[in-house]
This record gives sequence, structure tokens and C-alpha cells, in this order.
Amino acid sequence: MDHFPLSWGRPRNDAVDLYSTYPVNERQRHGPKNDAFTDGVQHTQQPIVTGTSVLAIKYKDGIMMAADCLASYGSLARFKDISRLHSVGQYTLIGAGGDMSDFQYLQHLLDDLMIEEYTSEDGHKLGPDEIYHYLSQVMYARRSKMNPLWNSLLVGGFKDGKSFVGYVDLLGTTYTASTLATGYGAYIAQPLLRRAVEGRETTMTEEEARAIIQECMKVLFYRDARSLNKFQIATVTERGVQIGDAISSETEWSFAEKIRGYGSQTQ
Amino acid sequence: MSIMEYNGGSVVAMKGKNCVAIASDLRLGNQAMTVATNFEKVFPVTDSLYCGLAGLATDVITLRERFRYRVNMYTIKEERQIEPATFAQLVSSTLYERRFGPYFVEPVIAGISKKTGEPFIAAADLIGCLNFAKDFVVCGTASDKLFGVAEGLWEPDMAAEDLFETISQTLMNAVDRDAFSGWGAIVHVITPEKVISRTLKARMD
Amino acid sequence: MALAQPLYADQHRPIQHQFNPYAENGGTILAIAGKDFSVIAGDTRQTEGYSIQTRYAPKVFKLTDRAVLAVNGFQADCSTFVKKVKQRIEWYRHAHSKQMPLKAIARMIQGMLYGKRFFPYYTYNILGGIEEDGTGAVYSFDPVGSYEREACRAAGAASSLIQPFLDNQIYFKNQTPAPGAAPFEPGNLPMDTVLSIVIDSFTSATERHIEVGDGLEMFVVVAPGRDVAGVQSLGAEELPALTPEGERIFVLRRDLKKD
Repeated sequence: MDHFPLSWGRPRNDAVDLYSTYPVNERQRHGPKNDAFTDGVQHTQQPIVTGTSVLAIKYKDGIMMAADCLASYGSLARFKDISRLHSVGQYTLIGAGGDMSDFQYLQHLLDDLMIEEYTSEDGHKLGPDEIYHYLSQVMYARRSKMNPLWNSLLVGGFKDGKSFVGYVDLLGTTYTASTLATGYGAYIAQPLLRRAVEGRETTMTEEEARAIIQECMKVLFYRDARSLNKFQIATVTERGVQIGDAISSETEWSFAEKIRGYGSQTQ
Repeated sequence: MSIMEYNGGSVVAMKGKNCVAIASDLRLGNQAMTVATNFEKVFPVTDSLYCGLAGLATDVITLRERFRYRVNMYTIKEERQIEPATFAQLVSSTLYERRFGPYFVEPVIAGISKKTGEPFIAAADLIGCLNFAKDFVVCGTASDKLFGVAEGLWEPDMAAEDLFETISQTLMNAVDRDAFSGWGAIVHVITPEKVISRTLKARMD
Repeated sequence: MALAQPLYADQHRPIQHQFNPYAENGGTILAIAGKDFSVIAGDTRQTEGYSIQTRYAPKVFKLTDRAVLAVNGFQADCSTFVKKVKQRIEWYRHAHSKQMPLKAIARMIQGMLYGKRFFPYYTYNILGGIEEDGTGAVYSFDPVGSYEREACRAAGAASSLIQPFLDNQIYFKNQTPAPGAAPFEPGNLPMDTVLSIVIDSFTSATERHIEVGDGLEMFVVVAPGRDVAGVQSLGAEELPALTPEGERIFVLRRDLKKD
């Protein structure tokens, strides 16, 4: 029995979906496949202009976040001076990997939200926790419409003496931990960050935090082909959000001369 | 569906104090249909060494005969009984010979060394990667369940009777949650003096 | 028989890569009912693929003074579902001026899950707590709302490892009482035995399943008037009660291996 009323009275195809168990959105329709609007509605995209990893840690005075300045177009390093860190109000910072146009949409959404909140004059100010939950609801709502915003986001902030870092992605998956990394950072930087930070969240100084973040950004530049040695480090502390100027790491390539055995040099 | 699950069946082996045990279920299936309930998957190799084979039934029988042949050849050439550790290598090389067209069988080995009196268990995957465990080894369609129950029930240095109870409970409770294993079970407890073989009264559904 | 063909294998358009709205985030949950208490437990690891996303992501939530929900599967669906359950329990409290009974929560959960039958929440739910008659209860659900009251249930990544162990230890499967001894009665074990079985189940699952580990949270819901010295002596933290009806909820935390 087909329990879905739209299929009733239409010819049935026993070869596919005999018991009508496919979800409505992926079931085979009988009769005309498309209406006049089908091609006009574009859903599920793929990321086009993309950013790579974002890193975030907690330290003594608040939180620190870093992301490089590259937006890639496939393997092409298309835009080399974009900022993937964005402040939301005076307590919160977000960092984005994934599709940059979706990120810009989110920036506008959050800016509009903060204006709404400001004009309400209710004596409340949105902190990192609120922004994190708001973002997770937006991301989950879009995934549930099968039309996701293709990003992995880190939310960081400092309000009322408390540090916060959280992760949200295109599926609406969320979590918090004292160190976070998206994209390749999850494989390459996260182990280094955990070793340096876990158990020292309330004692690590800003200098130490900056050192480990810079080290991770350097390692990511060495190993992630979609990264750039030009990155920003931002902090959120008692003094508010501070997004630094783009900086780069000292790199060492002399070892490359000695590499043999693959590529063009086989001897 | 995977060819490893075509006929169903599971085997487990455990170490105790101066003893080992190996047990299998008795089901032979044709996918979801049970066709026999007397299909033993554990075979004697010597008087203190047993080998269990879970997987594709045709390969279980083929391999049983191949092992019998190769162990006989070893006994004749060497003029002595094969040791459990040696037999494990024989199993491994027999399987690896067919690396790119394997027998669809996972073997489990349990025995007591005639030389040292040490208990020995081992298991391999279908291309002969050996696993010498200190506690227990499992294989077959109920392997995940066997791992869970065995990890909960097994303890070191059990005497033969305790080992029998532990392996029996492990096997029966695991195969009762597996649609492709069960329908009776057989347990062999190997001690330096003798082998105790018992068929268990188990659920037949 | 017709050959299986991909959906939308349209003549005019190439098959599109489809966005997968689900993920699987590992972890395991488990609940066991006693005569006048109920234990609901979950590990705290959250994974995606081979990565550990966080070592502390709670999967067990207090709903009322006598109901606790453990939820496992796709994390985004899990937290959405828990949020909506909590919201409807609050609405019930405002509408009826009393806490929602356990069996009513169970039926409500089945309705909420079945309501998304054609785009399911990918969540396995286990509800534990104290029934109106004061008995310990466990309800388990599948992702589309089939549910049943049981003495125990394991769900999630290591459910296949733990459930047969519980069959043996809680339901006494494949065991026979000693000659002359009383017959076994499932759901009647003392609390310290139940807690030991829960801890053993999770240490076993941690040993053999890569998605299980880091931490263990056990919620103990206790019927009114029951002695709680046992659970307090284990270092349990008591959660504040909303109403003075007598049920009490304790949380016990243990470390699990982090590798």
C-alpha cells in the first residue's frame, strides 16, 4: 500500500520502491517529471570559492582564533587577501571554512541580527553562546531544506569572564572543546593544539597561545595545498575582539633540494 | 550481501590456566534460510590442537582437507606432531598463497604446546594476517557480539571448568543476537591430559 | 525482475551528486531498570569518521524530576530532538500544572519520531525513569518511533557488543537457577550490581570499539522514599528537583580510556 496521497490513482512501478519506503523528496514520480519551475529552483550546490582550515583555542585571557587569507577556486589560489574572521558584536568572533559566498551571506545575516538586537534596547547583549546557538539553528534549518550553507564555522568569544569556543557545520552538527580545528586542521593541527592546550586553558599566556597557533598555521601551510602563508590571528578577551593584521611565518625549504624519489627528480 | 555471510556461523577461542577452549555454533544457512543444524566448524588437528573455520561453507570444507593434507605431510617429513605456533604459520601461508583470490574463511586456532605445555590461541583474517591474542579470539557473523560478551565475561587464569562456562555463555549469548549463527553449539576444552567436548543445549530459533 | 536503477536516472539530465543530510557521530547509550530506580548512561565521545570531534559531548539529559532521555545517532538531529522534547514537556507542565508522566513522555516521543517518518530524525532514543506506580522503567525507540518498555537496552555504535552481554547479565539468558533456588526475575537487581554492569559494559565497549570512550555519565533516577546512601557513597552529584514529589536524580561520572 502506498501511503502517500499524491501517488494515489497513478500508475505504480513495482520495480522501484515497491513498498513506498523512500522519503518523499527522493521518490520516483510518475507522470511528467518536471513542471515549469523545476529547472529554475536550484538547491544543493557544491562549494565554489572556498576557504580552508580555521583554528581556535582557549587560553588564560580568553580565546584565540586563526585563519589564512586565501579563497581558492578549486586548485586555483583565486583571492589572496580575504579575511575569514568576522566579529559579531563586541564579545564574539566567527571564523569560516568552506564556501565563501555562503560565509558572506552569514556575515550579513549576523550583522542584521546585531542591528535588530541593538534597536530593541532590551538591556541584553548577545554573547558567543547565543551566536553559536543561532548559527547552529540557521545551519540545521538549511540542511533540513536540503539546501545547506556549505561551511564549517568556529564561534569564539569572551563574555562575563567566560571563554567560549564552538563548532558548527553545514549539517548543523555542533560541539565545544578547549581546542577546535576545521578542515585539514582537524587532522594536522588538532593533535598539536591538544598537546599544547589541554589542561592549561586557564594558565596559558597570550604569548604561548600565539606561539602554538603560529606553529600550527606554519605546519598547515607546509602540508595543506589549499593554504597560504598569510594569515590573521584574532583574540577575544576582556578588551573585546581584536583581529590582527595579516602576518606570515618564517619557512624553511632547503630540505626540498634533497628530496629524491618522486616527481621530476627520480635519481 | 557479503560472501562471508552467505552461510553464517561463528567461532570463538579462549585461553585459561593450563587450558584452552574453542567453540562454534552448528548452523549452516543459505543466506537467511537454515539448511542444517549439525555443521561443526571446529576440527581436530592433533590430539591437543584444534582449528575452527568460519565463513563460506564450501571453503571451510576445502580448507579443512587442505590443512589435514599439509599437517600429514609435515608429520611424515618431520616425524613429529605439529606445534600450535607452527600450525598457525601453516594456516597463514596457506591463506596468503591465495592473496588475490582468497578462501572466504576466517580461521581460529586453539591448542596446547606439547613442548612447553603453554596454552596457545590465534586467529587470522581471510588472507592470513595472524593475531596472537593473550585472552580470546573470535570470528564469523557474530564476531562483534562475541567481542562484547567475551570482553565482559573473560578473566585471566581460569581453570578448565570455569573456562568451559565462560566460553559457552559467551558463544550462546552472542549467537542468540545473531540471525546467521546459532542453532546449537559445540565446545572443546583442551587440557594437557585430555580434551573435553560437549554439545550445548541452546536456543533453536 | 527489473534491474535496480538509480533514482532520477533521467534521460535528459545527468545524475546529480546528492547532498547527504545525515552523519553518524558514534558513541553508545544504555539504560537498565531496577525495581524502584533506573540507570541511564552514555559515553561522552563525539566522532566523525576516524576523528574525535570532542571528548565531552553529553548524550544523556534530564527531562523532568523522574525522566531522563539518552539520545544517540546523528548529533544535529539528537540535539534538535531533545530540544523539542523538552519544549513540549514544558508546555505540558503549563497546560496541566503537573509534571508529565513517564509513559506519557514515551508516547509523545513515538509521535514526534513518527511525525518525521518520511525524513526521519536519525536518532536512537532510550528513555528511563520512574513510572507513576513508583517502578523503575526503560523505554527504547527506533528512529521512526517503534517503542517498547523493557528492563534494559543498549543502543548506538557499540549496541551489538553490549546488548548480548545485558541479555546474559540482566535477563539471565542462557542461565538456569541452581536446583531449589528461586527463579530469576529480570529488572530486580540491586543498584550497586546494576551500576557495576553499566561500568563493565562501557569499559568493554571502549576496549573494542573506536567510537566509544573518553567519559561515562550515569544518571540514576530514584523512586520516592528509596534509600540513596549507596549511590551517594559512590560520589554521585544530585540534580536539583523542580517539584517536591520525591523522585531524585543523581549523576555519576567515570573516566573511560581516551585512546
